[in-house]
Amino acid sequence: MASSEPPIVKVIGFAKRYKKQVAVDGVDLEIKKGEIYGLIGPDGSGKSSLMKAMAGVLTYDRGTVEVFGTLVDSERAAERVKQRLGFLPQGLGLNLYPDLSVEENIDFFAQLRLVPEQALAERKARLLAMTRLDKFRDRAMKNLSGGMKQKLGLICTLIHEPELAILDEPTTGVDPVSRRDFWAILAQLLQEKGMTALVSTAYMDEASRFHRLSFLWEGKVLVSGTPTEVQALVPGSMVTFEAAPQVDAIARLKTQYMQVEALGSALRVFTEEPIPAAAMQSITSSLGTIKPVQFRVNEPELEDVFVALLLRQGEQPSVIEMPSVVPFTPNDALAIEAKGLIRDFGPFRAVDHVSFQVKSGEIFGLLGANGAGKTTVIKMLNGIMPPSGGEGRVAGADMRTAGGAIKERIGYMSQAFSLYLDLTVVENIRLFAGIYGLDRRATDQRLKWVMSMAGLKGYESNLTGRVPMGVRQRLALGCALVHQPRVLFLDEPTSGVDPIGRRHFWNILSRLAKEEGVAMLVTTHYMSEAEHCDHLALMYAGRIVADGSPADMKLSVEKEAGHLFEVLADDPGSALLELQRAGFAGAALYGTRIHLFCRDPAGDKDRACNALESIGVKINSVTARPLSLEDVFVYRVMALERQDRAGGHEAAA
Amino acid sequence: MKAVPGAGSQRAVIWWRRLIVMTRKEMLQLFRDVPIVAFLVYSFTLAIYITGNGIRSQLHEANLLVHDADHSISSRELIHRFQAPFFRLNGQVLDSREGLRRLDRGTAVAFLEIPPRFHEQLMTGEPTAVQLLVDTTNSANGLSVASYAGRIVARFGQESAFDRGGSFGDSSPDLPLITSDHRVWYNPDQNEAWFECISHLLRQITIFALLLPAAALVREKERGTVEQLLVSPLSPFQIMASKVLAMTLVILGATAVGLFGVMQPVFGVPIKGNIWLFFTLTALFVVTTAGMGLAAATLARNQGQVGMMTLLVAAPMLMLSGITAPMEAMPASVRAVMALSPLRYFIDIANGILLKGTGLNILWDSVLAMAALGASLFGFGLWRFRRQFQ
Repeated sequence: MASSEPPIVKVIGFAKRYKKQVAVDGVDLEIKKGEIYGLIGPDGSGKSSLMKAMAGVLTYDRGTVEVFGTLVDSERAAERVKQRLGFLPQGLGLNLYPDLSVEENIDFFAQLRLVPEQALAERKARLLAMTRLDKFRDRAMKNLSGGMKQKLGLICTLIHEPELAILDEPTTGVDPVSRRDFWAILAQLLQEKGMTALVSTAYMDEASRFHRLSFLWEGKVLVSGTPTEVQALVPGSMVTFEAAPQVDAIARLKTQYMQVEALGSALRVFTEEPIPAAAMQSITSSLGTIKPVQFRVNEPELEDVFVALLLRQGEQPSVIEMPSVVPFTPNDALAIEAKGLIRDFGPFRAVDHVSFQVKSGEIFGLLGANGAGKTTVIKMLNGIMPPSGGEGRVAGADMRTAGGAIKERIGYMSQAFSLYLDLTVVENIRLFAGIYGLDRRATDQRLKWVMSMAGLKGYESNLTGRVPMGVRQRLALGCALVHQPRVLFLDEPTSGVDPIGRRHFWNILSRLAKEEGVAMLVTTHYMSEAEHCDHLALMYAGRIVADGSPADMKLSVEKEAGHLFEVLADDPGSALLELQRAGFAGAALYGTRIHLFCRDPAGDKDRACNALESIGVKINSVTARPLSLEDVFVYRVMALERQDRAGGHEAAA
Repeated sequence: MKAVPGAGSQRAVIWWRRLIVMTRKEMLQLFRDVPIVAFLVYSFTLAIYITGNGIRSQLHEANLLVHDADHSISSRELIHRFQAPFFRLNGQVLDSREGLRRLDRGTAVAFLEIPPRFHEQLMTGEPTAVQLLVDTTNSANGLSVASYAGRIVARFGQESAFDRGGSFGDSSPDLPLITSDHRVWYNPDQNEAWFECISHLLRQITIFALLLPAAALVREKERGTVEQLLVSPLSPFQIMASKVLAMTLVILGATAVGLFGVMQPVFGVPIKGNIWLFFTLTALFVVTTAGMGLAAATLARNQGQVGMMTLLVAAPMLMLSGITAPMEAMPASVRAVMALSPLRYFIDIANGILLKGTGLNILWDSVLAMAALGASLFGFGLWRFRRQFQ
């Protein structure tokens, strides 16, 4: 990345409004050749407007946008830059044709861009192999899983080898393994073709994937720089520990600290104290009589930094008032029980002997790639799909015989938030109260409870379509809870919500579990959220392949695969390839940093250093990192996929 | 169930409460959809007014061109019998080829040629003929021109024959003559606006009954809210019935506006039969037709598709059910297919009640057929709906 080269994209004072709504208000941005530049921010922060303007498909009101040194201010100028860039619009596979096959889609985009036949054949073969889509060449796009669609979208965007790829939320709604594939492919193409990429995401945990990034908030850049620079803006530490009773501990901590989260039985607190010993000391003293145990101190993640920055900006974490209805004392009553559940669709077994138990007051996370069978399990437990075999009880009712009773006793919140956008906030709540058969008095009572629980005061008569995503999400939760269900199903409940909103949401969930004893089953693709669960189960191809608390799951992967290390090297692209050649199969690139597993830290470190020295790459540092749940997920699923492929080869041979 | 007294009625109360909140929700959503409300208001007021005022199936000012090669009293007499409002004399040409050219160009609809010696032949009792060329590109209009003109010429021939007879002897000839005396029933003034605006009302009811519930269902599918409803204690029947119920109430309201706000005061359409019977049977018709729309909605993935599908159903229904052309004029195969169109029965019912004042004693077979059709269509839609989400 020679700094003397002119920037690929230069944006100065960019502003865009839609009628009276200001979408972007004075953004400056410079993207250098060869980097992955990240735009991070919640829905409605202005990411898409900015990207569309750069791609030459949206006019803007103020400022200048230069792409490849051309000022994009007219249709003709836009046509000149369009030749040289690739644009992947937001939405899973929205730029693709559902009825065309994988290959037909690729050919169409290539022909549109006048790619010569020879070059097309070569690139297609290579990209299909990289994305592991080559087996599905003839499959219609509509029959692909979400992750596969997005990989195909990427191929179609890159088939003409653009100098600049503009990718708008390419990883939203995609499972962790496909996401990791996606980043690997992008990193490799950047390395080989000298391409530049601008990528947006609503998920903070992807921030470390970028070389440089800008965090957008309400149409303005809140902060920008390399991940390390951003982290340095908010010095401090993240302290994780256990303290009982948790509810009281949280109450005490909240008086001192802005960021307090419950992760299952653990608590996670951000302190501005960078020295670990001092950080632990200050937390212990603020807890008073409650004794914290099992302290762990880490560097704050980028998400913690963003939240800290937003809080400094004056964003207040809303206060939750949850008038407790029935005080809950933990017991071992089972809220959900699945025993050997099976569901067949013709010859295809979507769910294969799935068993698990969820106690009252427990948050249970069901993880898995798209198509692993999570949704089918939920549908069976909700009583809307009969199982082919096995049995289950939900909230005391047998799912095979009492589907109706189950429906009355559970709450359900889907990823679409499933609210009526043309009804007001109060009308939505009243509608669901009526659907669940509440009479007028009960409805008024619960309406009050929902309004204060979800912090909806002031939004009563706003149309739901016009309130912020975070508010909409809490309203959906409120509607799902209006009839006081003992069991709550949450199907990917947090897409597109800002980080403070998401924390607020999880705070509510953990209080519901701990104070009211609501049992919850949550599915999510976002592993930082899975940390909030008391208990996790990982599904793969219809089976549960791992089961335990987040800590247990990490521990068992550490036992098998070793510890995680982060390597900083001069030329990360070549270094990664060399490390993979040297036998570090799980090595992956995060922006400019490499993550790899070492079973024998001392020996492996030497091996890695030797491998890199042999190609003349200098290692700057090697540090141990705590394992994330995403690492666990990817490790487990990749191992199973390898097994399947090996099994497949044997069967073929 | 525990045998608690009143448990059953408690369940029934909750069942109804669910249906009512869902119905109210549908109406709220509909009334917040400004373009749809505007379309609804227009269709049941202004559109009825325009149709009632504008559409004439009677011949009106047909453009007539004449080539008179005789220039006699008789020829002039004949030409002047082609009168307004049916015909408009558009001048004479000297050459029959010019007349043909004008027909080709479309500046004349009919071209009357009177041969030389026309008067002379009439007077001498020789047979004679006039030629009328008619542009039947628009066949209905063309046929009317031909038939009106035929009647005018025939009458003229008859009268001149009498005149000639009279000039030979004093007594009128004892020729056997049949006169047909019309008694026009149900619409004595033959006011076309009545039939036209009733037909238009039926068309609007049909379109909205097909479209509104279907669109409401597909919108839930598109937005994903239907999932939320399916995991709630609502039954598929309640989900579908609430849409039909809401839209039926809206359409009945709109019908009342059209009937009492436009048709009765402006065009004086009589309401001879029982108005409650009319609204009850309109409700039955809307529910039946809505069943058809809902069945289509279960096949569609988005609003665009459901729009196309309802268009596909609505077009033949409106064309072939007997509003545009009488049922009796259809080929047997079309008539057999149209037995499945609820509109076919509703036309008889609506015209019967409003214009003739008939009651259930006569209309019962139409009502029965429509009810049977409605039940099976609604059942089919419900079955599709259940199946789709399994």
